[in-house]
Amino acid sequence: MLKYVLKRLAFLPLVMAGVTLLLFACLQFLSPEMRASLYVRDPRQLNQMEAIIEKYGLRKPMPVQYGRWLKQVARGDLGYSETAKMPVSEAIGAFFPATFELTLVTFFPILAVGVALGVLSAVYKDRFLDHASRFIAVTGYSLPSFVLGLALLMVFYGRLHWFPPGRYGLETDLLVHGAGFRHWTGLLTLDCLLNGRWSAFADVVKHLVLPACTLLYISVALLLRITRSSMLEELSKDYVRTARAKGLPERAVILKHALRNALIPLVTLSSRLSIGLLGGDVITETIFDFPGIGRWGVQAAQQLDIPGVLGSTLLAAGLFVLANLVADLLYAVVDPRIRVGS
Amino acid sequence: MNCMQNAIVLAILAVPAGAAVKNPDTYTYLTIGDVDNLDPAWAYDTSSQHVIQNVYEHLLSFPGTGLRAEDLAPRIATRVPSRANGLISADGLTYRFPIRQGVKFHDGSALTPQDVRYSLLRFMLLDRAGGPSSLLLEPILGAVSTRRNGALSPDIAAQAFAAVTVEGGTVVVRLDRPFTPFLSVLASFGAVMSQSWCTANGQWDGRPETAARFNDPRREGTLGARMNGTGPFRLDRLDPVLKQITLKRHDAYWRGPARLKTILVKTVDEFATRKLMLEAGDADSIYERQSNFSQLQGLPEVRIIDDLHGLERMEVLFFTFKINPSANGNIGSGRLDGHGIPPDFFSDRDAREAFAASIDYEGFSRDVGRGRTSQSAGFLPPGLTGYDPARCPRHRFDLAEAKTRLQKAWGGKVWDKGFHAALVFNAGSIEAQALCQMLKKNIESLNPKFRLDVRMLQWSSYVEQSRQRKLPIFLGAWQADYPDAHNFAFPFLHSAGYFPTKQGFSDPAADRLIEEAVATLDETRRAALYGRLEDLAAEQTPFVPVFDGTRYRAQRSWVKGFVFKPTFPAMPYASDYYDLYKAE
Repeated sequence: MLKYVLKRLAFLPLVMAGVTLLLFACLQFLSPEMRASLYVRDPRQLNQMEAIIEKYGLRKPMPVQYGRWLKQVARGDLGYSETAKMPVSEAIGAFFPATFELTLVTFFPILAVGVALGVLSAVYKDRFLDHASRFIAVTGYSLPSFVLGLALLMVFYGRLHWFPPGRYGLETDLLVHGAGFRHWTGLLTLDCLLNGRWSAFADVVKHLVLPACTLLYISVALLLRITRSSMLEELSKDYVRTARAKGLPERAVILKHALRNALIPLVTLSSRLSIGLLGGDVITETIFDFPGIGRWGVQAAQQLDIPGVLGSTLLAAGLFVLANLVADLLYAVVDPRIRVGS
Repeated sequence: MNCMQNAIVLAILAVPAGAAVKNPDTYTYLTIGDVDNLDPAWAYDTSSQHVIQNVYEHLLSFPGTGLRAEDLAPRIATRVPSRANGLISADGLTYRFPIRQGVKFHDGSALTPQDVRYSLLRFMLLDRAGGPSSLLLEPILGAVSTRRNGALSPDIAAQAFAAVTVEGGTVVVRLDRPFTPFLSVLASFGAVMSQSWCTANGQWDGRPETAARFNDPRREGTLGARMNGTGPFRLDRLDPVLKQITLKRHDAYWRGPARLKTILVKTVDEFATRKLMLEAGDADSIYERQSNFSQLQGLPEVRIIDDLHGLERMEVLFFTFKINPSANGNIGSGRLDGHGIPPDFFSDRDAREAFAASIDYEGFSRDVGRGRTSQSAGFLPPGLTGYDPARCPRHRFDLAEAKTRLQKAWGGKVWDKGFHAALVFNAGSIEAQALCQMLKKNIESLNPKFRLDVRMLQWSSYVEQSRQRKLPIFLGAWQADYPDAHNFAFPFLHSAGYFPTKQGFSDPAADRLIEEAVATLDETRRAALYGRLEDLAAEQTPFVPVFDGTRYRAQRSWVKGFVFKPTFPAMPYASDYYDLYKAE
């Protein structure tokens, strides 16, 4: 297993190099003037594009330019984002924690609910629970997130005043920006707990509920459907029949035998889901006025903020590679044949 | 499941219709435009200026709706100069402002007459291109710019120092020529700053010999994110991530502390979120235009103050004559090859006329403007010298005319090759978005080789890109700085004005007419000159007035004390927060 893990880790820099090369190749479609914005660290330089083109050799052969750019990226110097009004590396640090926090509170409930409902749906095929689960799947799959988000906002905030939009309320805003509040992790729920601010913690959680529910509902649908079909397939296989014939309790047959084999496609799907969540859901973030990385990335794209787009794309690519690595490792945990094969 | 459903339904029904005042000491205003820059000598957009006017103070102010000289009230000056009180000289050229004592800046230092002098000098000598400095340069120095051939005029600093002096506790300003609206200008511009604080923050040190270094600075070389005024509120935090500005009460304010302790100005792009926050009482007022009126009408505990007439031109479409091609994705290839437009695309009059003929003015007013707007005929609003109610709008919706014009534009090359460009609007502006989409649909319907992308920018980026001349066309509005026709003619048509500097538009004939009109005392003659300027604008079409009308304000009913001040920036959405308080 260790050998397998090390091998996968060894591939990581190569994959990242490939990703950066691909991104850089895409950049070559832009004019040198637009690429020059990647080397702007101070907005005062925005009117000195010709000097920057000269300095960084933006009309030189691509490998030379790539080497230079890679060195810059390795130093964490990703240019200045006009959209965020700060250097890209700072913008990532400012926007990503909110998205990460939302992902943390959403991802595991999505997994739990999706898998549980999928298993129940398969086990109780064509019965009420199955129909109910399929209804959830169909509505979740077909309902656009802006419709669901707005509906939730109108009922649970507009009418009931339970869960407001934004990242936190007025009192928490004053608290977290006041002296004495230490930002240990950037994750506000955790920071509030570490600072012993229980009411602020409750407030932050309140603000997470609606975006989390929106993401949960629309994301759970796919997981539910895949789990259901995967479980149905496994439950019809010979080894399940054998397990039942051996007299194993049904619970063990389902959870220990069938579910374990059904998990492989779910690992792939979960990896894709985590990437999607960590990249930020722009519609959810916009509707709930949630200052996450997705909204910034899309604004950067709309405003042709090349450093911003590249920064958020690099982050997404990095997350993608990491999530794939985790998925590969999980494959090995779930299916021993994979690590033996490696 | 049923219990849960019942609980939710019961909870919905149980919510009381009225509610107690929420956060009584905090006022939250939700808008669509983030601030561009908070330096009073640099900022010239309403989003920024409304914050500036709550943090800094001027010599005078308009405390109510009136805009006449007799409506002015003293602020940092202790008296409003007039000939009657002897503070304006008989020749109308010398103004004396006795300066108030005991006024404290937010950093605790005391305001002195020298600070006032420094602030007026800095306002003039900083003079960024297209900025507000000309408002004081014109009356005091008789020049619209401090620069000649791109460099600071050698004697301009000395002239300014001679024109603004301190005599004991009085600041004396000597004008170049009589300028009737001078006092009105000082009610909105020339905010008083602390010289020592500015210097400590890397700004001009107040010496004439160093002025050139600080002339026409870039945005980042200004006090764009730091403030230290004498006003009722101080800047607590400018948060680019939450897109929020927090102002805190200045407890040592000389007029007595404001009733509100905290002001939050927050950018929320999504209308539904703004509306729900207003409904829930988490916002006290929101920025909304006519297109959303019906959705706000009848909301419980929300008060709509309708039919507010400002002194303004609401929506005007501007063409950029010299587009900046550097790193500019809005003009595609930058050539007339079917994949872009050349930087001087709109220098061709036929191209401009074609776009002007592609706007459905009536439909726009009906559908987007709630029927409360109509096509305007010129750049002058009603009530000002030169405004002619009989003047008819120059442009009308005529796609056949647009087609003919585009067939002629650039010697027929536009029609043959086609073009590709971006139409950009500022986030949250439904009017601007609708106009861009209308232009896209109508222009693209004329020839399949025409392609227009509609793109959104947040307000500060929109202002910055238009300033850098990166937008091929842009939609602008103009709210009067002071009630005079010159304050419209200059920013719309003078080569050093706010819009022409963004457009790269220059017409010596227009400049001459504007300078003649402002120096003319005879009102009939002035009106004729402004009429000629209207004709000139209609003939050349550097801009197209799209529509004008009224505005409304949506606020919680617990908000009290709102006064509609026609020249206060971003009125009626934003406010002079010192007036406001919250009570049932």
